Amino acid sequence: MSGYDKNKKAVEVTDLTVAYREKPVLWDIDLNVPSGILMAIVGPNGAGKTTLLKSILGLIKPAAGQVLIYGRPYEEQRHTVGYVPQRGSVDWDFPTSVLDVVMMGRYGALGWIRRPGKKERLVAMEALRKVSMDNYAHRQISQLSGGQQQRVFLARALVQDASIYFMDEPFQGVDAKTERAIISLLKELRSAGKTVVVVHHDLQTVPEYFDWVTLLNVRSIASGPVDDVFNEDNLRLAYGGLVAFKSHEHREQVKN
Amino acid sequence: MGLGEILHNLVFDYTLRTVALGSGVLGVVSGALGAFAVLRRQSLLGDSVSHTALPGIAIAFLLTGAKSPLVMIIGAAVAGWAGTLLVMGIIKTTRIKSDSALGLVLSVFFGFGLVLLTFIQKMPNARQSGLETFLFGQATALMERDVIVMAVLGALAVITMLILWKEFKILSFDPEYGVTQGFPMRTVEVILTTVLVIAIVVGLQTVGVVLMSAMVVAPAAAARQWTDRLGLMIFLAALFGAIAGISGAVISSLTLRLPTGPTIVLCISAIVLVSMMLAPNRGLFWNWIRRWYNRRLLTLNAVLADMYELAKVHDDPSHAHPAATIEAMSYRTGGVRRSLDALEESGLVQRSRMDEWALTPKGMAEAEKVIKSMEVKT
Amino acid sequence: MSLKCLSCLLLFSVLLISGCGDNSEDKIKDIGQRSVKIVATTGMITDMVKNVGGERVSVTGLMGPGVDPHLYKASAGDVSRMREADIIFYNGLHLEGAMAELFEKMQSQKMTVAVTEGIAEEKLLSPPKFEGAHDPHVWFDVSLWMETAKTVRDALIDLDSASAALYKSNAGAYLEELKILHEYVVSRASEVSQEQRVLITAHDAFNYFGRAYGFDVRGLQGISTATEAGTADVRDLSSFIVERRIPAIFVESSVPRRTIEAVQAAVKSRGFDVKIGGELYSDAMGNPETPEGKYTGMVRHNIDTIVNALRGE
Repeated sequence: MSGYDKNKKAVEVTDLTVAYREKPVLWDIDLNVPSGILMAIVGPNGAGKTTLLKSILGLIKPAAGQVLIYGRPYEEQRHTVGYVPQRGSVDWDFPTSVLDVVMMGRYGALGWIRRPGKKERLVAMEALRKVSMDNYAHRQISQLSGGQQQRVFLARALVQDASIYFMDEPFQGVDAKTERAIISLLKELRSAGKTVVVVHHDLQTVPEYFDWVTLLNVRSIASGPVDDVFNEDNLRLAYGGLVAFKSHEHREQVKN
Repeated sequence: MGLGEILHNLVFDYTLRTVALGSGVLGVVSGALGAFAVLRRQSLLGDSVSHTALPGIAIAFLLTGAKSPLVMIIGAAVAGWAGTLLVMGIIKTTRIKSDSALGLVLSVFFGFGLVLLTFIQKMPNARQSGLETFLFGQATALMERDVIVMAVLGALAVITMLILWKEFKILSFDPEYGVTQGFPMRTVEVILTTVLVIAIVVGLQTVGVVLMSAMVVAPAAAARQWTDRLGLMIFLAALFGAIAGISGAVISSLTLRLPTGPTIVLCISAIVLVSMMLAPNRGLFWNWIRRWYNRRLLTLNAVLADMYELAKVHDDPSHAHPAATIEAMSYRTGGVRRSLDALEESGLVQRSRMDEWALTPKGMAEAEKVIKSMEVKT
Repeated sequence: MSLKCLSCLLLFSVLLISGCGDNSEDKIKDIGQRSVKIVATTGMITDMVKNVGGERVSVTGLMGPGVDPHLYKASAGDVSRMREADIIFYNGLHLEGAMAELFEKMQSQKMTVAVTEGIAEEKLLSPPKFEGAHDPHVWFDVSLWMETAKTVRDALIDLDSASAALYKSNAGAYLEELKILHEYVVSRASEVSQEQRVLITAHDAFNYFGRAYGFDVRGLQGISTATEAGTADVRDLSSFIVERRIPAIFVESSVPRRTIEAVQAAVKSRGFDVKIGGELYSDAMGNPETPEGKYTGMVRHNIDTIVNALRGE
């Protein structure tokens, strides 16, 4: 594992509670994400994983709790937080091009009224190159495959040049080639000192891809380095016995 | 009436010029701004704002007793906005979804507006205010000063759209992402809705409350068929709206007693129909042609392949077979004869005696190619 | 509420309401002891019925000042008033365009009289554009309106024969008044030269007026205000105004001003200045407290306004 700074807390969530019509979706979540790691958030359907992300990003108003990014409230740190939402959250039939979507990542820096110009275009093309989509810059987004769509969203987050990235199921429904490209990119980000928090749907790849993991099911079941926390007991707690778990030895083999 | 005379009137006849200009302005503004409503899947919003404006017009008259259109436009705008806020409130606080909330508010307000109109008709001098003309519009009564008001308000709306272009774009495509970018998306939505309300209210005098929603939705629907670029789509929507407005005004001027508002709506409907049929890529007409062409091609290839199989059985590939044999090999006999004729024209088969067909050497080569392309790649 | 309970309630309500039908026979029997309840549509008819019926009648007019009878839709309150009335008077000839079915229904329950039914057909106007129907605006020819007074008188006598003498004498007096009125209009009209006698209004309401008093009459909208005027109509009318150098055009109290103002603007753009000569009472009268709130006052106001404006005062 890369040398992460245990003392520098990239994300600090305290007592986060989100309820929908008196039904708790997230209950009393405490989460600490140290700087410079790749963290997976896993849990069964309805565990509140997406809700957690959206609450941190201020898209959902929590009933209680506090979120600090590098010690300051999220609202002050927007510019340093990148977001890759689920692919299904937009209508891909919208009349716009790949390059256009990527440049949206610079809107925050531009502020009101100013339109993206040459500088933004260059930065966007650079990001597209990183995800191997530069040839598709002027393609209509309706013509993209699932994996391509995911890469566009990634590129959009990359142009923000953030310190922390939140991603919601970026590996969902993409082809193997894209999955490899994405994980390689994430590891690159980590090497550059960035922190990446990913809501992840595939338990099997957690040990291979991620340094830390948080097991979530309305409450935070466990959170910490994969080796310490990703074990049968915690998984059973989180999934209620619904998980077939590969043995510890097998996991070691896969890692090597 | 010749085209020359029409054009002459368009420029020199005060009434036609004024009505056409007013209708054109209406078309541009409602077309351009309606496009954003359509892209946000809120087409019903245009309908809702138009219909909810009715009680606002009636109440404006009741409160002020004024007969000036400007007062009623303001009343329409206030009511249209109130209706929209009510819809948003219902969606937020109850389990009712947006389409039901829109429909609900629309019918209640409109019904209330009709009741007010019936009540008002008993009042002295109410008729003079022309309240009932707001139902279907009365374009002929437009005067220059009305058109100027429409143009100023419309320009305000369009300029706002141009200034806040990227904000509207991100609001329509990915509003949550916009929030994370630091934009107050609620505020942007309020601005967009306000601008849309202005666009709609400006057109109410001309087309009327009942039909205005067509002018909001149809130009954008037509424009979408022709392009995948947002900027071009908005421009085309504005253009189509203007064309419909001006044509509607001109056409209704050619015959006596043809109401202008509904004629404009008929024009934009025609434009939508043409766009749906003939636009490249998405046009239905081209789809049908493509499908027909593909079906023909498939049948041709199938016949070629069948004849190849037949030839393989005999050592002599030029052995001719009656058409009936070939027909028996395919699922549908319908296209076989036609395909044989077409293949003969291309020199791929030849007729020996009546109704007996064989592959030519060229046909053999072509058949091999077809069969190879149909094989599953391993 | 259970379904059974609801349907019981529904059935009960239906029976109750249908049971509330009027017992026409009983009501008519005691007509001699009380005032006759009358519902009339337009203000002109209301005024006439009051004059002919006198103290014997209690009249409710449905359409007040400024109300357009072509478009008027009866409210639930109107319908119940009609139910309670002993006799209903309306104009007929499709003036009350939206109420035709209602009159048919009422016809089967009580006396429903179209005041124009007594006018011989050859006296009625049938403009070519109106497809075989008659122009209903008969009240602008005072002599024709006198005929309707007779119809009203006869209907009242039919209903309430005990007071026949009263009705006859009231009608007689009213007819005298109308005769004087008619002569007044003729005399004022003669003050305008023949070429200047052109009357332009918002809709084709004044054809009878034109025929009776020698005016050339044009309206922007047709016989009924339900049809919208087109730009061609405005253009033709404004050309006509410029050609004949007409000094004044008129708005009507029951029709939106804007259409006539649009004509004025169109005329102005051709370099001719036409004034709005004043407001005429066409399909509705003025406020009840004013002189124009009576038929005679309304007719006087109209001819005075027209003549003064055309003479250039």
